Amino acid sequence: MDLYEYQARELLEEQGIPTPKAIYAQNSHEVAEAAEQLGYPCVVKAQVKIGHRGQAGGVKLAKTRDEAILDSEAILPMTIHKHKVNGVLVAEGKNILHEYYVSISVDRTSRDYDVLATANGGTEVEEIAREHPESVKRLHIEALDDFDLEAATRMAESIGFYHADVDQAAQILLKMWKCFKENDATLVEINPLAKIGDPDDESSKSLCALDAKISLDDNAAFRHDGWKRFADPMANDEFERRAKEHGLHYVHLKGQVGVIGNGAGLVMSSLDAVSGAGEEQGTGIKPANFLDIGGGASAEVMAASLEIVLSDPQVESVFINVYGGITSCEQVAKGILEAVETLGGTKPIVVRFDGNAAAEGLALLAESNTPNVHVAQTMEEAASEAARIAANAQKTKETN
Amino acid sequence: MVLFIEDDAPVIVQGMTGHQGMTHTARMLRAGTNIVGGVNARKAGLDVTFPAAKDGQDATIHVYGSCAEAREATSATASVVFVPPRFAKDAVVEAIEAGIKLIVVITEGIPVADSAYFVELALQHGARVVGPNCPGLMTLASSEHTHGVNLGIIPDGIVSRGPLGLVSKSGTLTYQLMGELSDIGFTACLGAGGDPIVGTTLLEALQAFEADPNTKAVMMIGEIGGNAEQDAAQWAAEHMTKPVVAYIAGFTAPEGKQMGHAGAIVSGGKGTAKDKKEALEAVGIRVGRTPGQAADIMREVLAGLDQ
Repeated sequence: MDLYEYQARELLEEQGIPTPKAIYAQNSHEVAEAAEQLGYPCVVKAQVKIGHRGQAGGVKLAKTRDEAILDSEAILPMTIHKHKVNGVLVAEGKNILHEYYVSISVDRTSRDYDVLATANGGTEVEEIAREHPESVKRLHIEALDDFDLEAATRMAESIGFYHADVDQAAQILLKMWKCFKENDATLVEINPLAKIGDPDDESSKSLCALDAKISLDDNAAFRHDGWKRFADPMANDEFERRAKEHGLHYVHLKGQVGVIGNGAGLVMSSLDAVSGAGEEQGTGIKPANFLDIGGGASAEVMAASLEIVLSDPQVESVFINVYGGITSCEQVAKGILEAVETLGGTKPIVVRFDGNAAAEGLALLAESNTPNVHVAQTMEEAASEAARIAANAQKTKETN
Repeated sequence: MVLFIEDDAPVIVQGMTGHQGMTHTARMLRAGTNIVGGVNARKAGLDVTFPAAKDGQDATIHVYGSCAEAREATSATASVVFVPPRFAKDAVVEAIEAGIKLIVVITEGIPVADSAYFVELALQHGARVVGPNCPGLMTLASSEHTHGVNLGIIPDGIVSRGPLGLVSKSGTLTYQLMGELSDIGFTACLGAGGDPIVGTTLLEALQAFEADPNTKAVMMIGEIGGNAEQDAAQWAAEHMTKPVVAYIAGFTAPEGKQMGHAGAIVSGGKGTAKDKKEALEAVGIRVGRTPGQAADIMREVLAGLDQ
């Protein structure tokens, strides 16, 4: 789960990492109040879970109350890189002297934690890595390591923090690590970690986290009751929400062929087969969704899955792909028939079974003579048939 | 040794008395696995009978209070873990500290920090973790007088002994490819798991198959997310003498969406199926467009070896 900047800040503040004063606001009235409270200049920042919002016009500087209102009126209705803006963060403006970048993330290859840092922060780290690869330092914290102040100080020195900043940087690194561990994060990124203050007054200078990105490990939700507050009002795809209620993995993809299968890999493979068929047939037919019913699909699970997939008005046909490992395909076939009966009919379904009791399952479906339930022998055939049916249905719709 | 384990090796099951544990322990026994004990602190002392599970006879399996106790009593060398996510880390740590050398973790939904911890701990203790979030490890008997082991949830009876090795990030695609190539047969099938951090990577599985004299070629099944396929490709290019054929799932997966498995996510444009396919093909590993086509390529490759 990715957090919005205003939520990520909260977690940094809990650890005592310095951040500018800021207020989250959802309309121009709230923005005006926030700006008055914080003083000028202030920064109005779009809250979206995607990078490059600055270049897209999602971050503006306001020197007066009226500017803050105008800025927020421009930003609040925006959609940035397909992400609808969810409110703005109004933050006090800071005089930036230098920008660093620091992130901690899970390293899948070395199976530990990756600290990525550069003394040339500010822009996206990928760009920095492209333009100045030598300036980006990659360090590791091993899974069993006790990362302490001494280790953090050594790390701050090797990252290349200016001498005057090393002590504070070490403190911040240590606090970031605590934030990462205590919150079961998969990413804690501060960019920029800025040196702020009056250039002529050494005592006024300090490091401050001006922007932050945090992702949390969904698998750890069971030990973090507080995460309920991060529920995202912008992520309310109706179909994804309903599938979640049934404990199903569903991803809405907005094509025309609904896809249901058992096992994440097989369902992904089924999506690829549908896209491949759409390309081959020259229709551009695409999968409408990813839906994994998991192991041991009962009739109830099958009924719930079919109901969700068929309620998507874009869906013209459904491809059900099941490999019976422990589960018997005969049981799955019964589930499909019961589901279709419960729903009182269905759009065309193409079923492909393999493995345990596949022949019995297919025979059961064929014998039932249920309208709109078709069987296929292979995954490729089934995907191809489902794509063809969807293309024809779409054509009929268009001519009407 | 076939793949990380001897034929007929004594095995314990952690979480045996739960629903999943009971179902799959019965199955593993019927497949000929030498299960010598279960572990559950709250049910220690219990004897569980699995009807007609061992060569047609009832099998009675004793439940021990800890891995250390179970190992002391049975000399078990391997453990299969069905413990729920919130208790999984402690269970795996217990197995490592008891001196179990192979720990197969089936559980899905373990926090990545917990996996990182026990995988590193296992490395320090010279133990091997397979998984988590995987279908397990299955080896086919290397002689007529011994049994292979079935550790986890891979269905028995799909395949018999043959020259292929298989490693996969996905459960059902493993069964699919096993089914497609059942006439050829396997030495071992290993589910690496769909989590971001796993105890045995695709690369490590290739290393093991390269070292196994009976494996002639390897089928590798990958999916979106991370760099495991690229890492495996690079290692294979430099060290592997046996042919590898691959299949990758998830070309249609959108950016930033987790596709079922915790590790199956394209983020920041990285971990795409296309990148993986290109990395594999760049080192001469052929990649099937569908599981069926991957199986066909494997047949071709094997025919080439025989000549």
